[in-house]
Amino acid sequence: MKRIPSFLFLGVAALICVYPFAWMFLSSFKTNKEIYQPTLFFPSDYEWDSYAGLWSGEYLPFFDYFLHSLLVSGGQALLATLVTAAAGFAFSKIRFRGSAWLFGVAILVILVPKQALAVPLFEWMAWLGWQGDLWSLALPGVASGLGVIFFTQVFRKVPDELIDLAQVEGLSPVRTFVTLLPLVAPALMTFCFLHFILSWQEHLLPLLMLDDENLTLPIALAKLRDSSHRIPESVGMAAATLSLVPVVLLFGLGFRKMKTALVELSLS
Amino acid sequence: MKGFMGGKAGISLLCLLGPFFALWGLFWLVPLGMGIDLSLQSPDFRPVHRDEVLPQDTSSSSSLTFLDWRKPQVEVEVEAPRYVGLDNFEKAVADSKFHKALGNTLIYVFGSILVILPLAFALAVNLRSLTRIPRGVLVFLLMIPGLALPGVLSTLFYLFFHGRTGALNQYLVIPLGFDPVNWMMDPAFIMPSLIIQAVWRWTGLVTLFFLCGLEAIPRWQFEVARIEGVGLWMRVRSILFPGVRHLALFAAVFLVVDGFAAFSGAYNLLGGSGGILDTGLLLVTYVYQVAFPGGCGRFKFNGAAAMSLLVAPVTAFLLFLLLQARKSFFSR
Repeated sequence: MKRIPSFLFLGVAALICVYPFAWMFLSSFKTNKEIYQPTLFFPSDYEWDSYAGLWSGEYLPFFDYFLHSLLVSGGQALLATLVTAAAGFAFSKIRFRGSAWLFGVAILVILVPKQALAVPLFEWMAWLGWQGDLWSLALPGVASGLGVIFFTQVFRKVPDELIDLAQVEGLSPVRTFVTLLPLVAPALMTFCFLHFILSWQEHLLPLLMLDDENLTLPIALAKLRDSSHRIPESVGMAAATLSLVPVVLLFGLGFRKMKTALVELSLS
Repeated sequence: MKGFMGGKAGISLLCLLGPFFALWGLFWLVPLGMGIDLSLQSPDFRPVHRDEVLPQDTSSSSSLTFLDWRKPQVEVEVEAPRYVGLDNFEKAVADSKFHKALGNTLIYVFGSILVILPLAFALAVNLRSLTRIPRGVLVFLLMIPGLALPGVLSTLFYLFFHGRTGALNQYLVIPLGFDPVNWMMDPAFIMPSLIIQAVWRWTGLVTLFFLCGLEAIPRWQFEVARIEGVGLWMRVRSILFPGVRHLALFAAVFLVVDGFAAFSGAYNLLGGSGGILDTGLLLVTYVYQVAFPGGCGRFKFNGAAAMSLLVAPVTAFLLFLLLQARKSFFSR
């Protein structure tokens, strides 16, 4: 009985979080007229026209953009995880002169995020001739300050005895790092996943950098919903539903590990 | 002895730190330097095309001039960039629209943090008392808005929540006996609706963080509290709260950084404008407006670069405050 207010609170919160997305999915079958009545939940009939339209590229090459987004976000997340994990390992487990200073320099990145550097980044990419290329999107943001902090914390929790053991065995620091990776797998997955989401959601940089044939999902979605309303709203809803699929799948798969990593990190 | 010693590990150190700092230099330091350089140059510097300097005979057939159109680019005479010191910064500081954008962003950041952290804490505390499976399912459901693209969130906000017939008005405002609110058109409600979106988006993620922090609290602490008959407030203050304070700090830093970089949601909702009376004008949106005015191809990068750089001290100051707060407020 005592639990009821607690359940009610959580239930309402969960409903607020899920209901609009269920509405969004069902709206991909609706006509414009039905969509403009937000309190209407179920469509009158289920036609897969909007998905078919996206698949055939009737409005824009949606699945090309989808693939670009997957490539950019996946590439960026994997690179960022590897690169910042290596840096975090070095900062927490190798003693060298200037370590604290270098750490401070590395996390300066947090103060000027890449969105604030969009304009010079745009010019720099144009100068390199990479503008419009998917690399120009994937590489900035790999050097993540939060990642360095996160992994420095993670590797601090790895007992020093293991490092000593590795030294006795004659392993180089790089070999030790590689050997330790499975041990911190939950943390690696957590960061990789969070970075993937952030990169998946990036809007400003692709808006500046990419040519029209190379766009990513956030811009495709904005284009599907342009002010002229030529395209039925249901197409936008279908695209939005599809854009949610990979992240929800990833999250579902990695959820357990993520929780393990976060619980471990907060044990102090 | 702690860890590896430095001297022997020189090459390893290079292998481990090298990739990070290479990318750091290429995609952060260089653009930052270019940004500083740009921000010091004259704001009215622009490429001058030859035909502007030497007006050509335009009586020849139009198709020919059309063909020639691309040629002068090779001989473009570019006015040498003029360095003007801190002019651009002074202009930005004096720009009332910049003030507006900065103020709005601060309200946005603080507003969302002040709502998200307590709400997420309450949710996490309630979730902790559930059994494993419902707990997992509920956290998963709470996280879903955080997984969606901000553009999707604002589209949903526009179509589903907003509007006279929208869910916010139908299910909340009208039942409470108020007049329906025009969320995106009424200047008084643009910022709250942006904050509502931020709350909707991030509360789930922060709840997950807090829940993990709470799960890490050793069981015996609760046992002791139960035996001692400690009240609810005391339990929150001395067991639950310390369990999440590091994560709260991390979440606050994340939200500050994300709030200052916020662009997509407002861009989608307000179409790149600041909304009515610029009440929804956020910093990045304004920088974007200054850099690419009307998309007509005449870029004003200098002023925009100066503004972007002015953000850094503000974020630095906020993060510094947070760290100070941690020292005085968080440590028992």
